[in-house]
Amino acid sequence: MSETLLKIENLYAGVGNKEILKGLNLTINKGEVHALMGLNGAGKSSLSFVLSGKQGYEVTSGSITFKGKDLLSLSTEERAQAGLFLSMQTPTEIPGVVFSNFLKQSLNSIRKAKGENELDTINFIKALRLEANKLGISTDMLKRFVNVGFSGGEKKRFETLQIALLKPDFCILDEIDSGLDIDALKTVAESINTLKNPNNAFLIITHYQRLLSYIIPDVVHIFADGRIIKTGDKSLALELEKKGYTEFLNHKEP
Amino acid sequence: MLSPLVKDIELFLNDKPSIYALRKKAKDALLKSGFPSSKTEEWKYTNVQQIIQTNYQIDTTNQICSHHCCDHLPTQDFIEIHFCNGKIHLEEIKTPPGLNIIPLPIVLYENEYKNYIFNSFDLEKHPFAALNGIYLEQGLCIHAEKDFHSSTPILIKYKFDNCDNQQLNIHNLFILEKNAQLNIIEDFSTTNTSNFTNTVNEIYLKASAHLEHYKKLSESPNGIHIALNGVKVHEKAFYKQFYFSEGTQISRQETIVNLEQKEAQAEIYSAYKATRQTLTDITTNINHIIEQTYSSQYAKAVLEDDSSATFQGKIYIAPNAVKSSGTQLHKALYLGKTATLNCKPELEIYADDVKCSHGASSGELDKEQIFYLQSRGIDKKEALKILTTAHLEELFSFISNPKIKNLFSK
Repeated sequence: MSETLLKIENLYAGVGNKEILKGLNLTINKGEVHALMGLNGAGKSSLSFVLSGKQGYEVTSGSITFKGKDLLSLSTEERAQAGLFLSMQTPTEIPGVVFSNFLKQSLNSIRKAKGENELDTINFIKALRLEANKLGISTDMLKRFVNVGFSGGEKKRFETLQIALLKPDFCILDEIDSGLDIDALKTVAESINTLKNPNNAFLIITHYQRLLSYIIPDVVHIFADGRIIKTGDKSLALELEKKGYTEFLNHKEP
Repeated sequence: MLSPLVKDIELFLNDKPSIYALRKKAKDALLKSGFPSSKTEEWKYTNVQQIIQTNYQIDTTNQICSHHCCDHLPTQDFIEIHFCNGKIHLEEIKTPPGLNIIPLPIVLYENEYKNYIFNSFDLEKHPFAALNGIYLEQGLCIHAEKDFHSSTPILIKYKFDNCDNQQLNIHNLFILEKNAQLNIIEDFSTTNTSNFTNTVNEIYLKASAHLEHYKKLSESPNGIHIALNGVKVHEKAFYKQFYFSEGTQISRQETIVNLEQKEAQAEIYSAYKATRQTLTDITTNINHIIEQTYSSQYAKAVLEDDSSATFQGKIYIAPNAVKSSGTQLHKALYLGKTATLNCKPELEIYADDVKCSHGASSGELDKEQIFYLQSRGIDKKEALKILTTAHLEELFSFISNPKIKNLFSK
């Protein structure tokens, strides 16, 4: 059996007085791709924010273990340095911050935390060019401000470039398919497939089965009312597409 | 006695009647107006009592600095001039034909530029400039002749190493003849002295002249800096000012621009970081005196806890200044809850058919942006630094010369 990367046990969490996660359990092993499917507003994005330690999201009980460590005791940046990556549904625009400078600072923060040498500008540019070329991303765009004036597709492609460069162990892709046309979707999916390896894992959050035709998941979860109500293999996504969410919601497992 | 700042001392060329008369004119103006108090409208947010009551000394031992310690290697990038503790450093300055750089003591001695002194502002309305005039001696004159063009900017470096408790009055003249073009950078970087710098620049742009005037102020947290730029802009001439300041205990940059002839134009950009326990004051006074004159002002601020800042921007449009436009915008970023900003736009419009606007916005750092950076492994302190720099970055993008930009982004 492969090594466990992330283990969430009986997690309760919310924002303010509103409880969003209600007893969530999830185990993800190295080399696996999991898909988390659910209706709008079910709390899927909240799960991604709880995992990355966003301010305002409070865990009331339960535990999250990442690479054997208590994830909840770490700050957002420490989680990233430990190898967790969140690709947000809408990547934030930061006017005034040049993409390549941001990436350099990010990469060096992570390398420093791991006890590796920080890269100087020349070696950083080399590393960046290498990864950008592999993904077919023009380096001209790296002179622009972070996500400013990028199309939906460009924003998501730059998220994949970040994954390629930072090499996290675990990636949460929150609706990486939202706002993408079919061609952009294929490109982003292909990038993800090339980034997959036996040592990392992905959690793909999505509404639709469509993305899962391009990135084949090992495990599919249906999420409702703050927890996972059904788990299966890739056929579960197809079944969900056919029957719709209502069917599953009416036949909750105890 | 008016203030311990005003001293009866013997200055270079006091025996020359025309120079003595200029200094006396300044003194009379100051005696008449007095120093500003909290009731003086233009100064009500900047309390100068502490400055007025301090017995700052004046060093009259030398008119120039001739120490070898101030020598520097010439660079290709700039024509460099150094002021050491308020005195111009005497060295051979290689200037291209058509450009004259003359120390003020020589200018005064030769009488040639007499008509440019105290001509760009009203002494009685500017008490600190009048104080500067009482000690008229230090400074320089940069004179670009007709059609002079140069891609090499002039960099004036003011260094203060050993002048605690001194007042340093510097008076410069920048004169651009018809169709001349020039970039001038003033760089004030004090190490750690508690001096009071009081500077006046009188700037004259003849028809179609073009001046880009940059100033960087990052003085000591114990330093006091009061500065006035008086600018006269003639037909189709263009004055662009870029000001950056951070870290000085009290700093006030006042700029008066007189757009005196048709199609005269001015752009003023100010970027400042108000650091803890400092007071930053930016005051502008743009006078559209005649028709078809144009001005724009854009300021961006980063305000730390316990800082205070003032932005007073006045646009005056005279009755016959029709078809003119004047705009003003100030954007502030608060890094804490205990910073104070006094933002006072003033529009005085006496003509019809003009375009004028002013705007001010303020806000805190975007939490989503902080989170995005943190989620990429960048710690919070570093994330805040990146984002505050980014706030000012937009203004730096208005600096077209990369060498100058480099000076400011250091």
